[in-house]
Amino acid sequence: MEDLSKLSLVEQINGLKLKKFSSMELTEFYLNKIDQEKVLNSFISLNENALTEAKKSDEKIAKNKNSSLEGIPIAHKDIFCIKDQKTTCGSKMLENFISPYSSTVYEKLSNSGTVNLGKTNMDEFAMGSSNETSFFGSVLNPIDPERVPGGSSGGSASAVAANLCSFATGTDTGGSIRQPAAFCGITGIKPTYGRVSRWGMIAFASSLDQGGIFAKNALDAALALENIAGFDEKDSTSINKKVPPFFDQAKLKDKEHIVGIPKNIIEDIKDEKVKNNFYESIDILKKSGVKVKEIDLKNIQYSLPVYYVIAPAECSANLSRYDGVRFGHRCDNPKDLDDLYERSRAEGFGEEVKKRILIGTYCLSAGYYDAYYLKAQKIRNLIKQSFMDAFKEVTSIMMPTCANVSFKLNSIQNPVEMYEQDIYTIPANLAGLPAISIPSGKINKLPLGIQFIGNYLEEGNLLNLSNKFQQNSDFHNE
Amino acid sequence: MKISEEILNNISSLSKIRIDEKIKPDLIKDLESILKMVEEMNKIDTSGIEPMSHPLDEADNLRKDEATDEIRRDEYQKFAPQTDDGFYLTPKVIE
Repeated sequence: MEDLSKLSLVEQINGLKLKKFSSMELTEFYLNKIDQEKVLNSFISLNENALTEAKKSDEKIAKNKNSSLEGIPIAHKDIFCIKDQKTTCGSKMLENFISPYSSTVYEKLSNSGTVNLGKTNMDEFAMGSSNETSFFGSVLNPIDPERVPGGSSGGSASAVAANLCSFATGTDTGGSIRQPAAFCGITGIKPTYGRVSRWGMIAFASSLDQGGIFAKNALDAALALENIAGFDEKDSTSINKKVPPFFDQAKLKDKEHIVGIPKNIIEDIKDEKVKNNFYESIDILKKSGVKVKEIDLKNIQYSLPVYYVIAPAECSANLSRYDGVRFGHRCDNPKDLDDLYERSRAEGFGEEVKKRILIGTYCLSAGYYDAYYLKAQKIRNLIKQSFMDAFKEVTSIMMPTCANVSFKLNSIQNPVEMYEQDIYTIPANLAGLPAISIPSGKINKLPLGIQFIGNYLEEGNLLNLSNKFQQNSDFHNE
Repeated sequence: MKISEEILNNISSLSKIRIDEKIKPDLIKDLESILKMVEEMNKIDTSGIEPMSHPLDEADNLRKDEATDEIRRDEYQKFAPQTDDGFYLTPKVIE
């Protein structure tokens, strides 16, 4: 039998429809592969009912009652709650947490007919850029197992790159879909803030968090994204706009693009190889008939400091719910209520999470609020304004996804150096804009990615541009 | 910004996270390096700029105030560390 795991999502859907193979066969194929690739540590838990779900899909396909993604085996980042299944968020705090309800993203994909293979590993509470902060151990990059897959959605990226699932869900607060997608040589999209419901997606920084997709290519990502996007009355920040057919939009041949190149940012790229790859990628775009225009994106260099005030501030509030009283880890023999809180949180959270809660608490505390939090919010406004000015001239903006390729496990110890992993991805989160990372080549066999950032609700435009790039390059198939 | 041990103890108490004495020096170093990076913000003049708390202008889609789900207390308390008769148990608060 051919290697079914290497087929694209579109090919798998057709294969299932034409009964070339069944969902049971496809699911078994992936389960075996997951077992063979255990060393990657991509999954935290596997779904015991995967084959039962596949069987049900096969029955629906036999009766021609199939939904759009019927029988497709996928993986979910372990940040999405699934009723009666373990949801750990990569933390000891939630090591034994069984969710009493399901996230909207899971519900939607389940209703679309997908088979859930399991929950993927991640940095603890999505805080990290290497997947090394997970309580369940580091994930390895399938391209070079001595290196990290990126983070925080490292398990999902690693699983898609190693062909352990058809596509996977992820979340992106400051680059947690795009950076691991770049490190693992796959396509990852973070839609507009509010496009995908946050209901049942464990909160890190609520004004930045957004669910999205990891896939083999832009067309697969478009199809998957179509199935998770849309208004949800359970999320008060959900956008009440109709979801366009992203897959059809991605395939449109005559769509015009003017891609903005932020000269000030590109000139500052330190690694010459990354810079050269970026210019080569511009050439590929030009050859595909895309117009390119130099732009100036002001104040973007302040994105990192702004993010490291706003994200920790919001995280310190969101993570206050883990108190050892109602759910999650509780310390042994607490002597009083304060002891219960303080020791449960000290034991349940890892070092990076604690660091961010402390920074957030500090920035929000009396006497520091104006100097840090309010200041950051004002610069956030200026950054958004820079994007809005740029979108008067261009239809999207191109930047590298990351300043470097994947690095070796345990090689970055300094927190700020780790945070700098996200310098190019954070600006889109601050403004709430959609952004996609696609493979753009390799340095010493390690993948690099380029990123397109679009105007609000312009995911279709980004997917179209990415598809154009992928039709004129082969990096996504390497 | 220098983080004194007093400031660290204050934020540790505010955030209800106990910090091991042994790790305090390294933690202070890390927090100071993060704040140093954050203070790059001071290079930009923001007078007259409105703060932005959220990317969307149209947020807060409120639902109608209707009951949509029954209370499933037993189900929610199944995974609580300690409960009794529908109550969450903690150490004694009032002597």
